[in-house]
Amino acid sequence: MLVSWNWLKQYVPLDMPLEELQRRLTLSGLNHEGTAEVAGDMAIDLEVTSNRPDCLGHIGIAREVAVLWNHALTIPAANPRESKTPVDSLVSVRIECPDLCLRYTARAIRGVKIGPSPQWMARRLETVGLTPINNVVDISNYVLMECGQPLHTFDFGKLGNKGDRSNLPHSGPSGAAHKLDLSPLFPREIVVRRPLLGETTEAIDHKTYQLGPEMCMICDGKAPVAIGGVMGGAQTEISPDTRDVLIEAAEFDPVSIRNTARLLNLHSDSSYRFERRVDPEGLDWASRRCCELILDLAGGELARGIVDVGRPPRKREPIVLRFSQLQRILGIEVPAERVREILISLGNVEETGKQGLGIGDWGLDSGIGVQGSGESGGCEAASGKSHISNQQLSNPQSLIPNPSLTMVPPSWRRDLTREIDLIEEVGRIHGYDAIPEDVGVPMVPSARRREDRVLEKVRHVLTACGFDEAVTLSAVDRHTSESLSPWTDAEPLRSALPVVRGADRLRRSLLPSLLAARRANEALANPIIELFEIAKAYLPQGAELPREPLLLGIAGGRDYPAVKGVVEAILRELKIAEPVEAEEAGIAQLDTAASCRLRFRGQTLGYVGRLTDDALKQFDLRGPATVAEVRLAPLIEAADLMPRCVEQSSYPAVTRDLNLVVAESVRWADVAATARREAGPCLETLQYRDTYRDEKRLGVDRKSLLFSIVLRSGECTFTNQQADEIRERIVAACRSEHGAELRT
Amino acid sequence: MALSDFLTELDALLGEAPAAFGAAGDAAALEAARVQFVGAKSGRLKAVQKGLAAVDKADRPAAGKRFNEVKQAIESAHQAAVERLASASRPAAAARCADPTVPGDCRRLGRLHPITQTIEELKEIMGRLGFSVADGPEIEDQWYNFEALNIPADHPARNPLENFYLELGDGGRGTGDGNHGTAVELPSQHTQQYPAPRPHPPAPSFLLRSQTSTVQIRAMERMRPPVRIISCGRVYRPDTADATHFPMFHQMEGLLVDRGVTMADLKSTLRLFARSAFADDVHIRFRPSFFPFTEPSVEVDMSWADGWIEMGGAGMVDPNVLQAVGYDPEEYSGFAFGLGIERICARRHGIADIRELFKNDVRFLQQF
Repeated sequence: MLVSWNWLKQYVPLDMPLEELQRRLTLSGLNHEGTAEVAGDMAIDLEVTSNRPDCLGHIGIAREVAVLWNHALTIPAANPRESKTPVDSLVSVRIECPDLCLRYTARAIRGVKIGPSPQWMARRLETVGLTPINNVVDISNYVLMECGQPLHTFDFGKLGNKGDRSNLPHSGPSGAAHKLDLSPLFPREIVVRRPLLGETTEAIDHKTYQLGPEMCMICDGKAPVAIGGVMGGAQTEISPDTRDVLIEAAEFDPVSIRNTARLLNLHSDSSYRFERRVDPEGLDWASRRCCELILDLAGGELARGIVDVGRPPRKREPIVLRFSQLQRILGIEVPAERVREILISLGNVEETGKQGLGIGDWGLDSGIGVQGSGESGGCEAASGKSHISNQQLSNPQSLIPNPSLTMVPPSWRRDLTREIDLIEEVGRIHGYDAIPEDVGVPMVPSARRREDRVLEKVRHVLTACGFDEAVTLSAVDRHTSESLSPWTDAEPLRSALPVVRGADRLRRSLLPSLLAARRANEALANPIIELFEIAKAYLPQGAELPREPLLLGIAGGRDYPAVKGVVEAILRELKIAEPVEAEEAGIAQLDTAASCRLRFRGQTLGYVGRLTDDALKQFDLRGPATVAEVRLAPLIEAADLMPRCVEQSSYPAVTRDLNLVVAESVRWADVAATARREAGPCLETLQYRDTYRDEKRLGVDRKSLLFSIVLRSGECTFTNQQADEIRERIVAACRSEHGAELRT
Repeated sequence: MALSDFLTELDALLGEAPAAFGAAGDAAALEAARVQFVGAKSGRLKAVQKGLAAVDKADRPAAGKRFNEVKQAIESAHQAAVERLASASRPAAAARCADPTVPGDCRRLGRLHPITQTIEELKEIMGRLGFSVADGPEIEDQWYNFEALNIPADHPARNPLENFYLELGDGGRGTGDGNHGTAVELPSQHTQQYPAPRPHPPAPSFLLRSQTSTVQIRAMERMRPPVRIISCGRVYRPDTADATHFPMFHQMEGLLVDRGVTMADLKSTLRLFARSAFADDVHIRFRPSFFPFTEPSVEVDMSWADGWIEMGGAGMVDPNVLQAVGYDPEEYSGFAFGLGIERICARRHGIADIRELFKNDVRFLQQF
C-alpha cells in the first residue's frame, strides 16, 4: 500500500519525523518497505497483511497513526447536497446472485462536466501510483485510496434498458436538454447476475473476456456492463461526453472475486480489496464522499437518497476481554486504562451493562470472583470486591475494579471477533518491545531421537568413505521418473504445478536424481564424483496418504564391490546382528554380474549394482557408475546403539588360509556358512579374500575361493596342530557339501 | 719353500693389507689397494697363493689352512673399509634424496551438505533448550496442512497457484516395504495418547506441505502437554527460483505448549537460540504480523551489526488450533515459530545464491 505523506496529513497531524513514522508503523504491524520522493511528496510503501484490509486506504493508516501518537483523527463528513429527484425514480437494482454480490448501492448524479482533475488530486493519485484520467474517474479512484472501498462510476446515459438502446433518452451536449426526463424508460435497471452461457464482455482495458459461470456481472437491461468488483466495462466508461453518472458502491463475495480475478488474470485495486473484504458499513460513506467530490469538482445534481439492495451489514457481536488473559498470553501487565484507551481509539465501542461481566466471570484463572451473572454492572460500575484475583491483589497496578471489559469491534475490523484478537491489538499498540526477552524458561530433559543418532552414524561412515552429501529436488520430470524405480511399479504422484520446470513427478527413488547430479558434475569434468543423499521417496498407495520411506541413495564411480562394501560398513557400524542376505537384484538397469538385492528380516532392504551400458547411455553418463539404495527404517530399528562390552581372550590367535576350488554355481555364502560351522566357537574371523578363475588351471566352470580363518581360544593358546585339524575339517565338509577341492 | 717362509709372507700381507685398506680415503684409493692386495690376476695374495704349491707336501694342509684364514681376514678388512667409506658418505646422500614436502597418503573425506550441517546444529542447540525432535510426512492432506491450522476452505493460502496439489497415480501397490514416513515420530518420553477429536475426515486431495507447522498438529494430536518439540524438513511453495527463493526449501518449526506459556517465553527462547546459534550479544525484536495458526503473530528480528535482520515468523498458538487438537485453550497456551534453514545456512557460510545448495556440484559441497 502506497501512502502519500501529504494526503495522510489531511486526516491526522504528522508532527513526527518521517523516520519515526516508518519505524513505529513497522513495529505496530505496517511493515515499512521503502519511501520514494514524488514531486514534493513522499510515497511511503507499507506492507499490509491480509487480515488488515482496513489499512488499504489512507484513513485506515491515519487511524493507526492517530492511535499510536494519541492524535485526533479527522474524517470528512461527506454530506453532499441532494436534489429533489429521488434516485429510485432513475435507477433500480436487482441482485440475482446474492451469494456473489452481498450488497449493492447506487447513487446518481446528472449533469456533470467531465474535465481534468484539480492539481492537488492529480498529484495525490500520482504519488500513490495512479494515472489521472478525468475528474469523475479520478474521484472514484481517490475515494478508493482514501477509505479502501472500491467504487465504480458508469456513464448513466450509456446504460441500456430493456428496450432498444437508440430509444434511450441521451443527455446531449447541451445542459438545457437535460432537464429531468422521466420517460417511461426510467428507472433504468441494474441487474447483478451470473453470466449467460457464452457471454463475453469488453472491459475498460478494451480486451474482451470470456466469462465463467461463477462470475458476478453487473448488467444493464441487456448485457454485462462491468465485471463486478474486478473491472468496469468499456461500453459505459466515463468519457468526455458523459453527463450523467451512476455511482456504484457494493460488496462482493471475496472468494468469487478472487476466483474471477485469477481466471481472467485481471487483478485490480478493486479486486485486491474485495478479496480481503471491505467495510460493510463503509459503503454508504464512500458513496457519499464520491458524490460530494463529484459535485465539488465536476458539478451536477445528486439525486436524493440511495438505492440499497442486498444484505444489510450485520451487527457485530461484543467481545469480552478478561484482563487476566493479557498477562497470560503477552506475559506482561498492561494497565487497564491503557487497555481501554487502546481499544477505544482503534474504534471499538465499549459496551457497558450486564452482558460483558456475566461472560467475563468464568474465565478467571484464580477461580475467585465467581458471582451470579449480571450482578455487577458495566465496567465502570463494578465494585471490584469479588473480581480481584490473587495475582491482581499482589500487584497494586492492577487493582482495577473490573476483571474484564466488553468491546463491540468496529465494522472495518472483521478480523476482530475473539478475545485473543483484542489481546493482539493491545499487545501490538502497547508495543512488543515491552515484552522481556530474558525470562527463565523452565528446563526440561530432551534426548536425541534414535533416528537422529543412527543417521549420524550412517553419515559418518559415508563421509569417511569419501562420499559427499547431496540434496536433490523431491520432484523429477517424467523421463527421469521412469528411468529407474526399484521400489514400486505404481504411477508416481503428480503435482498439478511442476515444482521446477517439467518436474511434476514425485520421485519414487533417489537414484535418478543422484545420477542426474552425477551427470552435471561430469559435465564440469570434476574428477571425483561420489554422492549420497538421505531423503524420502513417495510411493503411492491408492487413496491413502502415500508411503514416504526414508532412503539412503548412493551413486559413485567406484566398482560394485567397493559400493557394496560401503553398505556393509554401515551395517557393521550400526552393529546389525541379524543377517543381511544378498540375492539377484532383478533390476534391468543393473548389471546382473555386479548387482544384488539385500534382504533383511524377510524384506527387501535395498539394492546395490553397477549400471549397465544401456543404463549409462540412458542417464547420459560418460564413465561407469555404481548405485545403491537402502531403506533406513529397518536399520534405525535394528541398530545397536549401546553395544555391550565382551571380554577379550588374552591368548594369541592362529591364522590359516584356505583356497577351495568349487563349481561356479557354489556361492560364497554357503561355503562360508559351512566353514563357520566347522570352525566352531574358536573362530574369531572368517575373511573372504578373493575369487580366482582360470580355465586352464581350474577347469571350465570352476573357480577358487580364497579365504582366511583366524582362530583363538579363550582358555589356552591355540596350537598349530589344532588349527590344522580345524582347517582339515572345513576342507572335508566343503568337499562333501559343495564338491570343493583344496587347491595346493 | 719352507713353511715358515710362506707363513712370513702371509703375515706380512695380513699386516699391510688392512692398514692399506684403512688408510684409503675414498673409494678409488680403496679400489687401488684392493687390486694391489687381492686382485684376481696380479694381487699379492694371488702371488702368495702360487707359492703354496712349492711348500713341502707334508706342510701343505697347515699352509692352506693358514692361507684361507689370512684371505678371509683381508677380505673382511676390505669389506669393513667399504662400509666405512659408504657410511661416511651416507648422511649427504640421504639428505639429497629426502623431500619433507612430499604429501602423505591423504584420504579424501566426504562432506555433509551445508543444509544438513545447519539442521544438525539447530537441532543440537534446541535440544539443549529442552526441545525434542518430531517429524511428519511431506505429503499432507487438507486437515493437517490447512484446516487444523485455522486456514479455512476459502482462505487465499489454499489457492491452487500457491500450493503443490497432487494428482493421485494409479493406486498400484509398491513392491518395497518402507512404511516409516507416514507416522509421526515422537520423542520417546511422550508416549501418552491424548484423545484428539477430528471433526472432518481428511479431504481427498493431498499436497506437498507448505510449512512444517503440519507437524505441530500431528504431534499435539498424539501428546498431552507439556509439548516441547522442533521439526526440521522440506517444505514446498511455488515460488520462482531466484537467489533467495527456491520452490523446495527447509524449515525449522518450534512448538511449546504448556500451562502459562507467554510471549515473554517465546521471546526469551528465541533469544537463547539466537545467542547460541549466532552471537552472544544479540537481541530479539517482534513486529506484528499475520499467520492463521498463531495469534498474536509476529515477525522475529535479531539485532545484527547495528541493525535488524529477519529470523522468521512466530506467535502464540491460535486458540482454534489448540481446540482442533483437543486442547483446552483456557488451560493451555503455547508458542510456535518457524525459521528458514536456507537463510540461516546462507548467512553462516556466505552463500550468495541459495540455488547453489541444490546443484550438488562436488566442488561446492567440498567447501563446507
